[in-house]
Amino acid sequence: MKSSGIRIEGLKKRYGSGETAVDALKSVDMLVAPGEVVGLIGPSGSGKTTLLKCLGAVIEPTAGKMTLGQEVIYDNGWKIRDLRALRRDRIGFVFQAPYLISFLDVTDNVALLPMLAGIPNAEARARARQLLKELDVLHRAQAMPSRLSGGEQQRVAIARGLVNQPPVILADEPTAPLDSERALAVIRILNDMARKFETAIIVVTHDEKIIPTFKRIYQIRDGVTYEQNGEGRLLTT
Amino acid sequence: MISLAGRDILHSWGKFVFTGMGLGLLIGITLSMAGIYRGMVDDAKVLLDNSGADLWVVQKDTLGPYAEPSSIYDDHWRGILAMPGVKAAANITYLIMQVNRDGDDVRAMVAGVMPGEPGTPGWPPYLVAGRQISRSHYEAVADIASGFKLGDRIQIRRNQYTVVGLTRRMVSSSGDPMVFIPLKDAQEAQFLKDNDAILEQRRRTAQNPAFNLPGVPGLPESVNASQSVNPYVNAVLVQVEKDYLPEDVARMISRWKRLTVYTRSQMEEILVGKLIATSARQIFMFLVILSLVSSAIVAFIIYTLTLGKIREIAVLKLIGTKNRTIVGLIMQQSIALGLIGFVVGKISATLLMAPIFPKYVLLQPLDSVFGFFAVVVICIISSTIAIRAALAVDPADAIGG
Amino acid sequence: MKRRFFQKRTVALIAVLGPLLALLVYVSLSSGPLAPVPVVLAPVENRELSPALFGIGTVEARYTYKIGPTYAGRILKLGVDVGDHVKAGETLGEMDPVDLDERLGAQKAQVKRAEAQLSETEARKEYALTQAVRYEELLKARSTSEELATTRRQELQIAEAGLAVAREELSRAIAEQKALEAQRRNLLLLAPVDGWIVARNAEPGTTLVAGQAVVEIVDPRSLWVNVRFDQIRAQGLAAGLEARILLRSQRGVEQMGHVLRVEPLADAVTEETLAKVVFEELPEPLPPIGELAEVTLALPKLPPAPLIPSSAVLRKNGTLGVWRVRDGALEYTPVVLGASDLEGSVQVKEGLKVADRLVIYSANALTERSRIHVVEKIPGVKP
Repeated sequence: MKSSGIRIEGLKKRYGSGETAVDALKSVDMLVAPGEVVGLIGPSGSGKTTLLKCLGAVIEPTAGKMTLGQEVIYDNGWKIRDLRALRRDRIGFVFQAPYLISFLDVTDNVALLPMLAGIPNAEARARARQLLKELDVLHRAQAMPSRLSGGEQQRVAIARGLVNQPPVILADEPTAPLDSERALAVIRILNDMARKFETAIIVVTHDEKIIPTFKRIYQIRDGVTYEQNGEGRLLTT
Repeated sequence: MISLAGRDILHSWGKFVFTGMGLGLLIGITLSMAGIYRGMVDDAKVLLDNSGADLWVVQKDTLGPYAEPSSIYDDHWRGILAMPGVKAAANITYLIMQVNRDGDDVRAMVAGVMPGEPGTPGWPPYLVAGRQISRSHYEAVADIASGFKLGDRIQIRRNQYTVVGLTRRMVSSSGDPMVFIPLKDAQEAQFLKDNDAILEQRRRTAQNPAFNLPGVPGLPESVNASQSVNPYVNAVLVQVEKDYLPEDVARMISRWKRLTVYTRSQMEEILVGKLIATSARQIFMFLVILSLVSSAIVAFIIYTLTLGKIREIAVLKLIGTKNRTIVGLIMQQSIALGLIGFVVGKISATLLMAPIFPKYVLLQPLDSVFGFFAVVVICIISSTIAIRAALAVDPADAIGG
Repeated sequence: MKRRFFQKRTVALIAVLGPLLALLVYVSLSSGPLAPVPVVLAPVENRELSPALFGIGTVEARYTYKIGPTYAGRILKLGVDVGDHVKAGETLGEMDPVDLDERLGAQKAQVKRAEAQLSETEARKEYALTQAVRYEELLKARSTSEELATTRRQELQIAEAGLAVAREELSRAIAEQKALEAQRRNLLLLAPVDGWIVARNAEPGTTLVAGQAVVEIVDPRSLWVNVRFDQIRAQGLAAGLEARILLRSQRGVEQMGHVLRVEPLADAVTEETLAKVVFEELPEPLPPIGELAEVTLALPKLPPAPLIPSSAVLRKNGTLGVWRVRDGALEYTPVVLGASDLEGSVQVKEGLKVADRLVIYSANALTERSRIHVVEKIPGVKP
């Protein structure tokens, strides 16, 4: 099986040392099943971003264990050598700003990832177009990103996050710049994609509009996560 | 895999081409500087080649006739001609002076050549118009760089000459056009003064009691006559027989005739090594400075372009682009800029700068090839600053806006 | 579809960069050392040749007479000036006799004295003769002594001798007087021929040594041009050749003349042959003596022969030759040359045929491997 979701156990992240040390993450536990979309909420400074960075393999945690599907990627030390390949092939990113490459057209922006993985151009583009069609932006396939509306750009960004069919997608405030209709549409798309491709998706947000859509939510406060269900009830102690 | 560098250039091609053109003019100046140096060396070589000589016989212990004044009697050539190994020997005079035409002065090197047939040492080896000098006086062959045309009457010192032939690339080592006139006229021009000076001299002779002895009628006239005769020339040009080595013949002449003799390679060393050395150093300094400036400009431009993409570079790194690819992106852009600059530079140097520059600019293909590689190397090195900035970007910065 | 997009952009860029690259290639090949050399060609022609000789000369007078005293002295009178025409025998001036007149007077007195002396001795002799005869008679009559008669005879002899001395003394005085008169005549400066005063070198009152000229006279009909020819270019110089003389002060007018003689003594220092050229008709006004003239002598015309411009001739590998163009390729051909004229044509005796095409002008020095590009006129040469 391609993935079995994400499991994080006891993740810690300390910045600095000695007296000036700051514990951004003290004890994080998360479990996301394949095909599930969970929300991650918390006030600013609570460690959301740090957690994403650890999950995204761009910073190294201090201690703990991270499992991606069947594979332990971190257990008090990286267990994977090529982090970049990990990011490229196994993790998809969706940001609050689309961050599309301005000098590539829409199709190539999406097709870039498979191309980087070594997939031939024609096939990469075919995959890209497939996703663009699913996200209903195929009619803009030849355009340059600067020509697209905000919503269209966001959808292209989502397509980019999905194109390599990663087992995990990390979404950082993907609906922040959107109005409620569009925001809900994006969440709907994420849910569709998760279901379709059995992707585990973590959505960091504090957008009130979409929080109710999550079945499970993790709250993070002072570096510790607390799980709660959609009605706001804590599930873990 | 698509070419990220190519796409970026295509996307902002206007900026690239515009910047490339600016860089190109700078490169063009650099190429022209190299061309000016080559032109100077060529001027010296051409001067030696066109004299048709294998040996130069000059006044003892001088570096003449081009680098230092040299005076020898004009009958030495006969003795030299009689030496073994000498095929032809001819007197020659050189003087840089103002040549007048209808009130315009042109600075030229006036060469006095011995009468004879074409192929006499000192005669211009080829013409671009007209004919060689056939009369023994008052005819001239001039280089087109002087601006003279066939049939012009030009004034050199006291006499007027008709231009009967034109040459090209007959210049002195400092680039002055050459004018060839008969030897006797040149000797007169070199040493005979203008009318005022001659009258003055006669007056002094008349007042000098040593020249006014009562028992010797005609003495002042004889003295005046001897003062207005010039038996000197600047050098004797020698052609060596086929089976003899120029060095051997040179040694023989300098031993028996007590004159200094230079072979072609020695003359080249004198001209290029001594006359041109200072200018060569100056030009070399300019070349280095211009290269540094070009390098700095390329570095600055590429750095600025990279900084403008820093966010996208962070995203690229985050989504898994190899460092190598990003380095390649920046370096390829730098090289592309350099290529555009080189093409514009070479074209502008050849079509714009070389024709209008007052000295001879010789753009050799080898220099262009060398310049091409230098441009590529400079671009690669200059892009390292931007590359360092790009590599220092933390992909984590893409997360958490 | 997506292909079309790329092609539009790419095509646009190629449309800009393509010509730029083409220009680069053009520029690299068409200038600098890789470019072909422009040359002008001309065929070998069969034509007559009018060779000529050219020399520079000065107008001189054939005969110049320098008139001056034969002894050191001072000029007393000078009656002529530069430009005057004089006749043969005319007195031009006079040297100061100083004491010559007085000495002549003294000499004349000396002659008179000698004459008086002569009369005196004649009288003495007469007397002695008379005495000697009388005493001879007396001796015969034994009225006197032998001694006295002898004495009287002796006195007669003495008186006769004295007379002879006085006679010779007179001759001597007369001869000396004649000598002084001749000297006196010598002080006159006379014109030896009809002529024209060209120089007046001293004024009355000036002291001169013997041999210094006071005036110089030339015969205007004897003006000629002393012409110098470079020995290398004097082949065919001979008396009788027709000459065209161009005086420096009269540039537009050519005078006709002919060569009177070629000097047997050439100038070894300047390596020139000298010749004398006379005017057919003396120019009016007479050119000043010493004026420069350019003299062109026409040699006999040569029959038609292959001619080439001298600008095609060059020296290579020790031989004289030309660059011939055959089938578009350059070929160096050694030639043997013949006579040449002053306008740049030279005969070819060996090496070329009529209608062979030669390079007469080239923009650069040529080698066998040079690529050439035939043009009408070398670029850069203004008409």
